[in-house]
Amino acid sequence: MSMSDEDRAALRLESYFEAARAHPPVPSAALMASVLRAAETMQPAPPRVPLAARLRAASGGWPVLAGLAAAAAALGVWIGAALPGANGGATEAAYLVDVAPELAFVLAGDF
Amino acid sequence: MDMPRDDPDATPEEALLAAFAAGDRAAARALTQRLTPRVLAHAYRLLGNRAEAEEVAQEAMLRLWRQAPEWRAGEAKPSTWLYRVTANLCIDRRRRARAGEVPLDAVPEPPDTSPAAIERMQARARAEALQAALGDLPERQREAVVLRHIEGLSNPEIAAIMGTSIEAVEGLTARGRRALAAALGHRKEELGHVDER
Repeated sequence: MSMSDEDRAALRLESYFEAARAHPPVPSAALMASVLRAAETMQPAPPRVPLAARLRAASGGWPVLAGLAAAAAALGVWIGAALPGANGGATEAAYLVDVAPELAFVLAGDF
Repeated sequence: MDMPRDDPDATPEEALLAAFAAGDRAAARALTQRLTPRVLAHAYRLLGNRAEAEEVAQEAMLRLWRQAPEWRAGEAKPSTWLYRVTANLCIDRRRRARAGEVPLDAVPEPPDTSPAAIERMQARARAEALQAALGDLPERQREAVVLRHIEGLSNPEIAAIMGTSIEAVEGLTARGRRALAAALGHRKEELGHVDER
């Protein structure tokens, strides 16, 4: 089967496109360097991570921190209960009510 | 300059641009290496002038870096956006050149003095002849033909870049191909084409 003139012209044109694809302009080293320099100049700095977030990440996240807080609170309660002489008399209770009036109800039972 | 090779299939360019905006230096290198040659080639094919094409490529890439922090995921691909910016910069240059503000003399490429095979020389001659014929096409026909037949993009991609319909792209490429075939037809023997019937 012979090709039509139109097919031949299309084939010929394709050989031009093929030649153009095979010979792209190659960027000069100066152009590549200049583009990269501009990129590095204009590039935003990596975001600074706040201290709390870094600690959180380093300690294993919120669940671990919450566990630590609970353990610290429990230790405080134990120290408060176990220290000798922690149960003061009326004088100490009155002093505590002076500095922290909201304790009046709590301490009322001691009298 | 010596840059590590970028594998175009490795990371999508959108992800690289997001990494660039997050301060990743390697992403800056990968994007430079992947996109600069494409931008330069497109500018050269639209302008026909190597020095002008390098300036356009530099400016287009600069705009990409500037745009990166505001880039929204899911929008146009960076390369699609770059093709559009490059075409607009080229159109501006050609208009200014026509108005006499910027000289746009096509500086011929220095001849290849290496002992190249005849076939290679013919291919190069064809590429140059095509470049000259492209220069005579109307701007939008030239852009559509280059994107379709040299860059190898699909008609929907070209329509997105040129802000037009797929049918309009088909019309532009068809008219462009006809005009190129006519312009190059008379040089076929000179460029090594012998028709076989």
